[in-house]
Amino acid sequence: MTCEDFRLRLTAFSLGELEPGERKLTRDHLAACDDCASRVLVDRQLTALLRASAVPAPSETFAAVLAAVRVEAARDEAGLPATSPRRQAPPRQARRRHWVALAAALLAAAAVVASALLVVPAPDPGSPLSAAWSSYHSEGKNGLGTPSKAEAERLFAVLGPASRTPDLSAYGLRKDGWEGRDLAGHVAAVAEYRDAEGGRVTLMRWRGDLPRMARGPEGTELAAYRWGRHTSYWWHADGVVWCLVGTIDQDRLYQIAEHLGGES
Amino acid sequence: MDLEGFEAATVPHMNALYDAALRLAGDQATAQDLTQETYLRALRSFGTFEPGSNCRAWLLRIQYNLFCTQYRRGRRMPLVWLDEGETDPSLDLPSHEPGPEEQTVRELDREAVRRAIAQLPEDFRMAVTLVDINGLTCAEAATVMDVPRGTILSRLHRARRRLETMLLPELGRVQADDL
Repeated sequence: MTCEDFRLRLTAFSLGELEPGERKLTRDHLAACDDCASRVLVDRQLTALLRASAVPAPSETFAAVLAAVRVEAARDEAGLPATSPRRQAPPRQARRRHWVALAAALLAAAAVVASALLVVPAPDPGSPLSAAWSSYHSEGKNGLGTPSKAEAERLFAVLGPASRTPDLSAYGLRKDGWEGRDLAGHVAAVAEYRDAEGGRVTLMRWRGDLPRMARGPEGTELAAYRWGRHTSYWWHADGVVWCLVGTIDQDRLYQIAEHLGGES
Repeated sequence: MDLEGFEAATVPHMNALYDAALRLAGDQATAQDLTQETYLRALRSFGTFEPGSNCRAWLLRIQYNLFCTQYRRGRRMPLVWLDEGETDPSLDLPSHEPGPEEQTVRELDREAVRRAIAQLPEDFRMAVTLVDINGLTCAEAATVMDVPRGTILSRLHRARRRLETMLLPELGRVQADDL
């Protein structure tokens, strides 16, 4: 066995996955080759490091999982149908993060440094972040209107064709309204969509640079920013930032982002 | 429904499930959701679990399938993971371990290892998670990922060589007791 032969078998040897004949050949080689023997030691050091990197579940995860399991078992005992896990209320922490993520998606539009926002607890009532969320929530609930002709012209003057509200009916989404919105000094076109189940999608566009938190690796055109189970999609085209966020199925949201990203 | 039997069989593996979920999903909130959904699915199909077989592998398979079908998003584009800036207090070493300086170095090593693993392609990362971290055999990992055993070995081999390159400084600090 040559050193090259050994190197190709190193992982299988370490895992005890070699056939007996090959294992003997490998051991014979190791007995005569200090270089390959030292490679075995490095491989053992590596696996020791890997084992030590295991992250234990936080106590709140244990508690949340056990609680969900017991509720499900109780439902089963009572003859109730199984709940859909995806529809259960998420754990408190995840819910808070989702809350913050949506608010951050809006405020990132205002070029606020979102990476700092994303780790803070839910904001105090009356804070700017809280006000932004309230605005987003109420406007989404009430639906947006249609801007006046003058406002539409202003948006077009700033954003060009990107100010138009794309037709997403192919994705089961109907337009629920659109408007111009001032996001900390940036004139943004905001469009809202709904699907038949009440799922909501918001598309925001404004002229400027991508927020730092939404920048993907160099040379990429579409980045996904995920927090919890929700994802916002960001891309930049012709000097306009696009941000898509929504509560619909996340696969569908991605397809829409890819579709719009290809068009813009 | 044998809740007691289910908990006795599965709860000891929750750390492994959470660790694998965290490496797949990339953030703690999603990892918790994924772990919880895995347990709910496992509860419903506990009747199909064969007592005496590897429960951890069974759970990890449920979790991996769940991740592939419902959690994996936007594979063709880069995901921008943010550092949540949180330190898990449960990672603190027990008091009988060496002094604070060495503890710090070890914690830095752990962090470096986690980051290195996170840079691996998903298939490599999962193979490392299943076999090197969670102790499954290659055959069990092959069942979890629904690929041939040789594919797992190949992924592990390539992943380890990449990790060796990335973790060269940390490798020199592994203690003899760790091996």
